[in-house]
Amino acid sequence: MTSLLVNSFKKLCLTSISRSTRVYSTGNSPTVHVSHNLSVVQKGWKILPQYTKPREVWIENLDTIDENKLGLFQLHPLVFAASPRIDIIHRNVIWQRKVRWVSWAHTKTRAEVRGGGRKPWPQKGLGRARHGSIRSPLWRGGGIAHGPRSGKTHFFMLPFHVRIHGLTSTLSAKLAQDDLHIVKDLELPTNEPEYLLDLIEKRNWGPSVLIVDENDVVPRNIAVATDSIQHINIMPVYGLNVYSMLKHDTLILTLSAAERIEERILNHLHSIDSNKSTAFKLDQV
Amino acid sequence: MGSRQIAEKSLSILRSLPRISLGNIRDNPGSKITQKRGRGQHGGDKHGAGNKGGGQRQNYMRLGYETGNNPFYLRVPHENYYKGHHHRRQYPPLSLKELQLTIDKNRVDITKPIDIASLVRSGVYNFNPDQKHYGINLTDEGADIFQAKLNIEVQWASEEVIAAIEKNGGVITTAYYDPHSLFLLKNPKKFFETGQAIPRRMIPPSDAIEYYTNPETRGYLADPEQISQARLKLAQKYGYQLNNIQNDSIYNMLCERKDPRQIFFGLEPGWVINLKDECILKPKDEKLLSFYAI
Amino acid sequence: MATVWRSRCAFAPLLVGKSVRILNNTIDLGSKLIPKPLSVTLCAKDYSSYGKSPFVDKITERYDYEIIKNPPEWEYVKRLLPLDIIPKVTPKDNYPSGWIPPKEEAQNLPYFIRRTKHHEIPIYLNLTYRGTRKVTKIKKLDGDIWLLNHEIKKYLNSTQQRYVETRVHELARFIEVKGDFVTVLKEWAYSKGF
Repeated sequence: MTSLLVNSFKKLCLTSISRSTRVYSTGNSPTVHVSHNLSVVQKGWKILPQYTKPREVWIENLDTIDENKLGLFQLHPLVFAASPRIDIIHRNVIWQRKVRWVSWAHTKTRAEVRGGGRKPWPQKGLGRARHGSIRSPLWRGGGIAHGPRSGKTHFFMLPFHVRIHGLTSTLSAKLAQDDLHIVKDLELPTNEPEYLLDLIEKRNWGPSVLIVDENDVVPRNIAVATDSIQHINIMPVYGLNVYSMLKHDTLILTLSAAERIEERILNHLHSIDSNKSTAFKLDQV
Repeated sequence: MGSRQIAEKSLSILRSLPRISLGNIRDNPGSKITQKRGRGQHGGDKHGAGNKGGGQRQNYMRLGYETGNNPFYLRVPHENYYKGHHHRRQYPPLSLKELQLTIDKNRVDITKPIDIASLVRSGVYNFNPDQKHYGINLTDEGADIFQAKLNIEVQWASEEVIAAIEKNGGVITTAYYDPHSLFLLKNPKKFFETGQAIPRRMIPPSDAIEYYTNPETRGYLADPEQISQARLKLAQKYGYQLNNIQNDSIYNMLCERKDPRQIFFGLEPGWVINLKDECILKPKDEKLLSFYAI
Repeated sequence: MATVWRSRCAFAPLLVGKSVRILNNTIDLGSKLIPKPLSVTLCAKDYSSYGKSPFVDKITERYDYEIIKNPPEWEYVKRLLPLDIIPKVTPKDNYPSGWIPPKEEAQNLPYFIRRTKHHEIPIYLNLTYRGTRKVTKIKKLDGDIWLLNHEIKKYLNSTQQRYVETRVHELARFIEVKGDFVTVLKEWAYSKGF
């Protein structure tokens, strides 16, 4: 109920402001000039692709529900055609789950359970089993032996290049399964959530969609439209990670985001890595 | 068909498989061995010593222990060859062959003077000043293939190395840096970002002064006149024609040296480097100028 | 504020001659806290206890610096900043170190061995079981890996005069050869132009 109210309020208030913000946010569509005749974007990669051909994907639009192909975009094979190592993707997912997990499960030991200081009956002469405490783990209501103790961290660091390989594997797998789309920018004609839902339905994108832009400031319309939809999320390039890519069915990259991802990963793959390839120590930084 | 192309093969198989998601990925089978808590009889309570008997009770003494006697291995007095080795200066080696390979791969620029900072930057050399590492020992492996003409500054060099470099018309200097300066040379960017002024380089300790003032080892504190004599002497000893530096086209580069108090080429002590605004702060205060002039 | 200054003052007698030198030979430019009485009658003051140390009453900017924009020395600074990526090798007449550049025609072969980022051939020797098991590993493969495996086997058969066991991993794109054939395989790879 409240969300409905909030939405209607947003519709009332924000339509007047949206025009000015849209003008501000048109800056992030640098490389391809909008033209209806198809053009292949040639890119000046610092590291040229060898042997494996660059991948080509359509540049799509978001400003109409029907798909318009605005051009072709080349993706570097080292990033978008790496071998899709499921095991490395899995290790990345496990790492992301564990790295911030502190287990608060807690049980009391025999020392912490109330009572049990007195020997229940003498050691000898009663014909009963010998016992020293009524809170021994053998007793009902006794302490727990080897139980979980709270505040246990599961923190560890995955080696740097496994993290990079996880990203390239996931991006390649997403591209190979047609779950990766490149859009020119994130301009929507309206801030209605229904528009975005219709667009996704029409283009047969998976119900859940992760939209990745270069910066953490996106056009107002898409921010408002996705605000009330739980399964459509927006993320800046610096937040891109394996877990989120797998959690969402479809991955939408803007042109600038795709270029930025390529540039960063290629840089990491070809830089001097004496500091990156050393094992993580807790006292580093 | 891409089936024999392995780059395409796995990706094209993926096209016909269900979408990879959090629910259907797994690690390689057998890749993880979990340590389990011992259960059942003797769940780890015997500490691997077995049950009763000699394993648990017998005292196997350490090797060489003679139940209280002065043991044989300690009876003979001996001279500790490595005594105090952890206090000595160490110079991790870099061979001429590696240096040549680095030059061939364009990782260092030989049109500029080379020092330890440029070699660390190229990624070919690494050292830890906190582990008593005092810089590069340039070794003579690959002296016969070495062909680069350069101006290099290292911390230790043998006669063969000096000959190999001077034979090609190059110049070599051995220079001392105190550990604090070496930290700066190892990661100059990190230092500039702290916003501190570049310090002065310290003079060598008393036991290193002899090496660094010796013209034979091309020490940076040696008399230039004596160095040119030593160059000639070495050329005659090894039988090569010495390059006349004065007539060289890269004379200016070959003559570039650091001041004995200077750490970086071209940057004087007392300056503050601002990487963000790309500007340099130079001291004007009399007190500072006199301090850094020493 | 006063607390910090008091603790500094405790060391003042030690720093009489070298009042600007702090630690490690550097100048602490951030220390704007200079006491008024310190300059005049340093010796007469007794700083032996906390209570007797003076309060800071005036903070002055002590050192004068000139700020130079676009200095000519910036070229020297750029030389010190770390490399972004490992540079490409420019073609030269000869490489005295024995490094061999990859050839362009290798791209037309049905298989391919990609150079590492350090421009080396990715052929390595793996020693396990305390050096008793030697396995040569060829990494970064592309193209028809089974044909490459067949060619390697044929080549090693002819040069070594015996059958050589290999193992192909398609997904991770490497081939393992049983035995130490690093130099032999590197020569073969160079001859193919990789």
